[in-house]
Amino acid sequence: MITSRPFLRFPPAFAALFLTILSAAGLRAADLKELWRERIKSVVAVEFYVETENERRPTVTSGTVIDREGTVILQPAVMPNYLPPSQFKDFRVYRPGVPVSNFAKAEYLGFDGATGWNFIRIEASGRDGLVPLTDFAVKEAGDVGVAEEVWGIGLRGKDEDFEPYFLSNRVGYITFLPHRTAIALDHVCAPQLPVFNRDGVFAGLGLAGFGESYYQYSRTERGSPILLVSGDEARVFRVASEVLPYLGRVPKSRVGRPTPWLGVMGLQPLPVDVAKFLKLENQAALVVSEVLEGGPADQAGLKDRDIIVALDGQALPRLKPAGVVVGWLEREIALRAPGAAVAFTVLRGKDRLDVKPVLQEEPKTLREAERKYFDRLGLTVREFLFVDAVANRIKQSERSGVATHYVKSNSPAAAAGLHAEDWIREIDGVEVKTFADAVAKLEAIDQNQTRSEFVLLISRGGETAVLRVKLR
Amino acid sequence: MSRKLRRGNQIAATRWRRPLSLPLYWRRKDAAGGRLRWVRLILGAALGLFFLGSPLQAKMNAGFNRLLDAVVRIDVREFAFEEGTKRYTASIGSGVILSEDGLVLTNAHVVSPRAVEINVTLANLEKVGATLVGWDHWTDLAVLRIDVAEVKRRGLKFTHAKFGDSEQLFPGETVYAVGTPHGLERTVTRGIISNNRRYFEDTTGVRGYETGTFNTWLQTDAAINPGNSGGPLVTESGEVIGVNSRAYVGADNLGFAIPASVAKQISAALVRDGKVTRSYLGLVPGTLQDLETFYSLKQGTGLLINSVDAGSPAARGGLRAGDIVLSINGTAVDGRFPEQLPPIQNLIASVPVGSTVKLVVKRGEQTTSYAVATEKLESRQGEEWVFEKWGLSIQKVSRAYAREHQLPDSSGLLVVGVQAGFPAAVSGLARGDVVTKINQQAIETLDVAKAEYDAFVAKPDSILVEARRARRVALYVFKP
Repeated sequence: MITSRPFLRFPPAFAALFLTILSAAGLRAADLKELWRERIKSVVAVEFYVETENERRPTVTSGTVIDREGTVILQPAVMPNYLPPSQFKDFRVYRPGVPVSNFAKAEYLGFDGATGWNFIRIEASGRDGLVPLTDFAVKEAGDVGVAEEVWGIGLRGKDEDFEPYFLSNRVGYITFLPHRTAIALDHVCAPQLPVFNRDGVFAGLGLAGFGESYYQYSRTERGSPILLVSGDEARVFRVASEVLPYLGRVPKSRVGRPTPWLGVMGLQPLPVDVAKFLKLENQAALVVSEVLEGGPADQAGLKDRDIIVALDGQALPRLKPAGVVVGWLEREIALRAPGAAVAFTVLRGKDRLDVKPVLQEEPKTLREAERKYFDRLGLTVREFLFVDAVANRIKQSERSGVATHYVKSNSPAAAAGLHAEDWIREIDGVEVKTFADAVAKLEAIDQNQTRSEFVLLISRGGETAVLRVKLR
Repeated sequence: MSRKLRRGNQIAATRWRRPLSLPLYWRRKDAAGGRLRWVRLILGAALGLFFLGSPLQAKMNAGFNRLLDAVVRIDVREFAFEEGTKRYTASIGSGVILSEDGLVLTNAHVVSPRAVEINVTLANLEKVGATLVGWDHWTDLAVLRIDVAEVKRRGLKFTHAKFGDSEQLFPGETVYAVGTPHGLERTVTRGIISNNRRYFEDTTGVRGYETGTFNTWLQTDAAINPGNSGGPLVTESGEVIGVNSRAYVGADNLGFAIPASVAKQISAALVRDGKVTRSYLGLVPGTLQDLETFYSLKQGTGLLINSVDAGSPAARGGLRAGDIVLSINGTAVDGRFPEQLPPIQNLIASVPVGSTVKLVVKRGEQTTSYAVATEKLESRQGEEWVFEKWGLSIQKVSRAYAREHQLPDSSGLLVVGVQAGFPAAVSGLARGDVVTKINQQAIETLDVAKAEYDAFVAKPDSILVEARRARRVALYVFKP
């Protein structure tokens, strides 16, 4: 039976539709309780540790279950992108309202560049009773509209067993940032937890980091503006149609590979007046501040200060505020694969040109860089990467040495004046060529208890200095 | 010369004892009528009595009296290209008369080429006009000339001071500071030499200009307050051994003066040429302190090169960071401690611009001789200007600024201020941006920008401006 097929394929959709029909029959008040009870099974609290050279910092966040394999998505901001995944440890997943002594373990799967989400997977024994978000999604449902009532789930603190609580409000405004994003009148969920419409259909995913402007009055100061950002609750959410298509982007690697890369820096939107001056008022355009040496854009002939006006023949969309178009283009790139071509139309002076870079894999990132900590020296060195050459404004061919990733305070390295992100070029007067080279030299110094000092030549902001590191 | 990577114990957070631009004192006087004048007179009388009556007066001699009559108050009205407009500010400092023909020594931060009106109040409280003769921010010294014709016409009298030997000073020696703290003329404070060879450099110390690279400083606990700037530090016999310049704000009696040995030389050059021209190699020295073993050097020999400025004569000549300079033009150098660096820097700066400096350099086990031709030393502070109709004050990007900020070249104009509501501010341009193009025209020189501005003023129309903020390039439109 053809008509029954969709129902078989989408039992949750069937359930939702059924509920919709029920609610339409005027049974709403009773339903909400039931909807709530069912939907809190798709949310969890997640705790993990960020381990650095000398500290172990716990992070607590909330996550949404997206499939029956126990995959949970976490918000982008919780994991610093300059740290390797190996420093994220001991993932624990707590069910809302269940005593926290009863938790499940999870492993870190990685992050996805296009959505920014971090993915974890709960161990098999801890998946019982979890319901994926997709069970509450209805493909044909359409997105929420302005004035529509939505509700979601908040989670109390760890000391309260992450008890879930109910949040509800109406949608006040819908915009593109560049994802279609709804802004409710007040908090409707915890960040990264789902929002539902009145019928219990998945309506969107809460976004963290949106602040609200307040004025702070005090006896001495009057009305200084401050921006308040809630870490616990969100009033902004990405609508369902901007979430559901991406749930399948479970990373293939913990560092987010493959990562399509264009090789440009500092895309700057045109202010309205400039757009009008250049007769581009009905669209957006982006100035390319720098084209990175040897990257896809460089190879395709894109130049510094070119103004990108169209992608694949389509004028860049005019989004509000103007800066959003930067994120829009970045997402367009992130959703393609290395090897895919991107057709730009650019303005260069008075000329209008077509430039067609072929995306490549991004050069090794900070997440992937090799690094090593020397406790006696109080210093972590890491590979000198493509981005380090960019930061130090040198040619890629001049790359050598290592970068300092971390300098422990009051350590011999710190006392010598070394800072994080310095570029070590010589150790004991000998040029450092590679990371392995530097590690071998520093290891020898570290292990030689008779050494009382060693000497580094470092570079910082285009200037160099000889630093003497005194060892105890 | 930026010194992001300086090591050693240089003084960090000093602030200039700059004369108050609008001292509270004067405002209060306006409000309270003549009352404060009485306070001032009483204070002055008390000070005089103290001096006459104190047993220390046994030492008060003709020389000191003569010096008191040579110290002047300096009132300056000057313009500033701030916040996109040309404004006038007023300030007060001190000075000391050096010669019969009315040359006055003061600080570069008291009187600069921005001054439009300079008035000198003599010891007898008579006020006469003065003009700027020369200015050197590197040593924070300036020389003025009193309007001698006016002095003659009015039959005014003054004495002039003599320099003492600042090299002979010892810590603990009694010294006096004479000047105009907070506008109080002829204020004498007493202290001792706290340190006779203090080192510190400040890249923006004299109104954004560098200072302290070529001299060490005298430190004294004689009270030095805003307004003392440019006044003399003298011995008991009234010999000028320093020029009071700066102090720590919030600290107790940590004042600093330029030694007379430096002042004598620089003031002579300023009188002769109106400026001091120095040579530049592009070497950034470090201290060798305890690195001698590493470099296989005898203690007390050599100057460590910490950095070589990109594109400088030294860089082109092949010098590198980590090199040890053993001698400069045959003079052996010793840069073990920070205090020893300014004289060595001065040795390089003192050779004629364009002449070849012979450097004997040790690199590893090799000792090589380098011959490097110097260039003219330039400040990081470029020429200032204001485009008033745009509400935009700028500074030409200097080579030093471009190097410090790793800009591709020294073209462009650094935005130092914008006036709210004017085209530059409205377009979104902000302080710290570097304007690189106006109407598609690359701004290689200030004149190019001036021409564009003149065209705008003659026929106001929207113009396209390109600017760099950190590493981002953005476009702006100035609308009439």
